[in-house]
Amino acid sequence: MEIRDLPEKPEKAIVVSDLRRIYRSSKGVFRKKQEIVEAVKGISFEVEFGELFGLVGPNGAGKTTTIKMLTTLLTPTSGAAKVLGFDVAKDVIDIRRRIGIIFGGERGLYYRVSGRENLRYFADLYGVPVSKRDKRITDLLDLVGLSDRADTKVEGYSRGMKQRLHIAKGLINDPDVIFMDEPTIGLDPEAARETRAMIKGLVEKGKTILLTTHYMFEADELCSRIAVISNGKIVALDSPSELKKFVKDITVIEVEAFGLANTDLDVLRRQADVTNVSAELEGERQIVRIQTPRGSEFIPTVTKLLSRAKIVDIRTKEPTLEDAYLKLVA
Amino acid sequence: MSQLHFFADPQWIIPNVIAPFIFTAVALMFFQNVSGSLALYAVLGGGMMGMWGNTLYGAGFALGFDRWNGTLEYVLATPSRLVWIVAGRSASSAVLGLVNAIAILCIAVFGYRAELGIANPVLFLLALVLTLASLSSLGVLFSSSFLLTRSASVMTNGLEMPIYVASGSMFPIALLPFWSHPFSWSLGPTWGIEAMRYAAYGELGLGFWIDILVVFASTIIYLAIGFWLFGIVERKVRRDATLVEY
Repeated sequence: MEIRDLPEKPEKAIVVSDLRRIYRSSKGVFRKKQEIVEAVKGISFEVEFGELFGLVGPNGAGKTTTIKMLTTLLTPTSGAAKVLGFDVAKDVIDIRRRIGIIFGGERGLYYRVSGRENLRYFADLYGVPVSKRDKRITDLLDLVGLSDRADTKVEGYSRGMKQRLHIAKGLINDPDVIFMDEPTIGLDPEAARETRAMIKGLVEKGKTILLTTHYMFEADELCSRIAVISNGKIVALDSPSELKKFVKDITVIEVEAFGLANTDLDVLRRQADVTNVSAELEGERQIVRIQTPRGSEFIPTVTKLLSRAKIVDIRTKEPTLEDAYLKLVA
Repeated sequence: MSQLHFFADPQWIIPNVIAPFIFTAVALMFFQNVSGSLALYAVLGGGMMGMWGNTLYGAGFALGFDRWNGTLEYVLATPSRLVWIVAGRSASSAVLGLVNAIAILCIAVFGYRAELGIANPVLFLLALVLTLASLSSLGVLFSSSFLLTRSASVMTNGLEMPIYVASGSMFPIALLPFWSHPFSWSLGPTWGIEAMRYAAYGELGLGFWIDILVVFASTIIYLAIGFWLFGIVERKVRRDATLVEY
């Protein structure tokens, strides 16, 4: 991988030091009341060249705000951050020239023109030489599997196709560092799998990637290191295998049931031998994951506490990265 | 890109073809069988509607569309300075408005048989090009404020008529209240429109060249202020995180 046009290669691709971001808003018309939200409360981390670094956390934790500061869309309130040796507050154009941004979603594309025209426009904005532009667009469309729909209007694209076009757009300037904010959100499993394969391919080509995601299995699969951010602070930063050690003494009891009430879950949470309880809905079934150091011995207690519901299945599992994440952000 | 997107929606015909045509047709019907100055006002007024309306679209409405469409952040995140992007949109939109103006001229001459003599076409063209440049730079100046608001389209609507009226393209500025004259003369396009009339009538004395100088100087001044304001506004939206609000 070459770092182009840099006077000297920095040691790290991204360096973040005590970064903070405060949002100020006001309520009311005549007697305005100011509201202050500290979205990022002094985070620090470094990303190596060629690394796929994950930033995970619940909604509102500060992931997107962090990415926007690093991509120069927001100015930090205090602290410092450097991308490829350039300061995010001062060297804005130098950073923008060398990074790619993939935020994804339904918006962010010009929907009444074709995918190719979208890429051509952004290629021009990034200053891609005309001699290289069209070939690069063709190669990117091949990479993301949109060659046969390149000249169709974006309004006719499926969700997955739009996401792939976002990826192509994020690579149009052949960036050294790529920032991806939840690149697989809202995609069907096949499209999500293809996207993850593409991301792995980019890392193999030597790109540095900082990725945020809600999906722990995705972070586990892709990332060499993960920072867990909660309420604006980094609560853990390590490789997936090291993070799982946070829950190495824990067993997860997974219960499939119908008719569980929130009060049942609250009762579980109050048990001394329970470190965490999470629940999700799969169709009409409720899946409850209970973290406990007592292992399978705790199953009779769980069955008794959840006796008002109809339990379909109950099993023990090894803790995953998701369990470690849930413990860290709880 | 904004032009491609603009033309993809058939609604562009209304403000850019139908409205100026209707204005010109109405004005020419009012002044049937006249020639010279009144007919020229009708044609210049209609042409001005097309040129300024398109310029406002390129400078303002397109920014509002980018914000609503979610593309504003992506555009700002590129190494191309936003002010250059807006200047390019503004200029291309103004030139597109010129096509509109030429169509109106043809309709006036061939359809309504308006007698419009242009004594000096070369200098008329010079005045026209400088007026277009002044309109584009005025668009750049205003568009810095469009970046601050979610209501860019409302602001562009509010800016259309004042410039049409105050620039003296539709009727002489002398007919306007005296207190509005300073505003009229502060607009570069006002001097450009006057220079175009001088060239059309063949009156190429000191008045014409002063107008040319002022419209040229106004273009430079508007651009300089616009660039400065854009720098301030970009730093503000990055600080206040208002880019994603729509």
